[in-house]
Amino acid sequence: QVPVLQNNSGPPLVGLVTIACHLVKESKCPDLLGDSAESRAVVQQWLEHRVTKLDRCRKEDTKIFLKDLDHYLRKVYLAGNHFTLADIFIYYGIHPLMVDLAVQEKEQFANVTRWFDHIQHYPGVRHHLPLITVLRNRIYISRH
Amino acid sequence: MKLFVSEGNPHCLKVLAALEDTGVKCDVQFVNHEGTNAWLSQHLCQTRSLQYLFPPIYTPRYLFEVSGKGCTDLCNQWLEWETADLQPALQHALHVAVVLEKGSEVSKVLQGPLNHLEQSLTKASTAYLTGESVSIADVVLWAALYPVLSDPSIPLGERKTVKAWFERGAKLRSFQTAAQKVLQGKGLQGMKTYLQKQPIHLSTQCKEPCTN
Repeated sequence: QVPVLQNNSGPPLVGLVTIACHLVKESKCPDLLGDSAESRAVVQQWLEHRVTKLDRCRKEDTKIFLKDLDHYLRKVYLAGNHFTLADIFIYYGIHPLMVDLAVQEKEQFANVTRWFDHIQHYPGVRHHLPLITVLRNRIYISRH
Repeated sequence: MKLFVSEGNPHCLKVLAALEDTGVKCDVQFVNHEGTNAWLSQHLCQTRSLQYLFPPIYTPRYLFEVSGKGCTDLCNQWLEWETADLQPALQHALHVAVVLEKGSEVSKVLQGPLNHLEQSLTKASTAYLTGESVSIADVVLWAALYPVLSDPSIPLGERKTVKAWFERGAKLRSFQTAAQKVLQGKGLQGMKTYLQKQPIHLSTQCKEPCTN
């Protein structure tokens, strides 16, 4: 199940985070890994969080995961003020959870839902994944 | 930059070893377990499992970034392996050895990761994980494995290459300083108080031997 990248220029690379970081470095947008030492460390933290926590999250714990994420996401992006690989990783990781959420639950995790809606409309991110319907008027009005 | 570390926390060993190795200037504060929890819980309240910026597991990477020592693909691969594969087994092993006091079962728990390490080092036939010089991958893995591999009661078996690689790290002065600070010369027992307070997160494959 662990992805392996066969590469012409060297030995194969093993692991989702390793491969993704390699591809970003080779691409024209290395800033996806963060634009400072601090944001690079935060991005790595989220990438590891995806593979060690989210991907191993038991079904009964998914709501706890979303609640924690909701608490953290009182901002636009996961790491710093820019869109990074961390947003892509967590977007793909929680897509299956978002598919299953009822309208009321999406309101309960309003920060996650707002962030998710933003990321799914970010150019070039969504690809083949179905668009998740978000009732924006309910999510964007603060209930505090 | 301020760094909060606590005695007996195996992750802090990584941070201090990385700090010694990179020479980054940093204000290190030792806090006791209660203090650590109080400090962490403020942030943990915000994010719980996510923790706040730079819990000890992520700090070494940051320190290496700051010091300008980069991380190659191979290095990334080892770090990912450490968090995804080695740590779950290692947490289980430390729990078995220190809390349950069954040191003899540790070899069995760590069998998979140690074999992987042995095979990779043998295949690469280099002195260190990513080549002929020390990288962040070596520092992090030495520190992660130090508590178990430095304990004479836990046999490494026939894994000669792992043994030789580990001994290269264990004799570095930077490493000994870090280990002394965290374990206080008490070896595995130096972590007992810390480990007893940790919630047990065992992956399903690890659960079985513990419930015996």
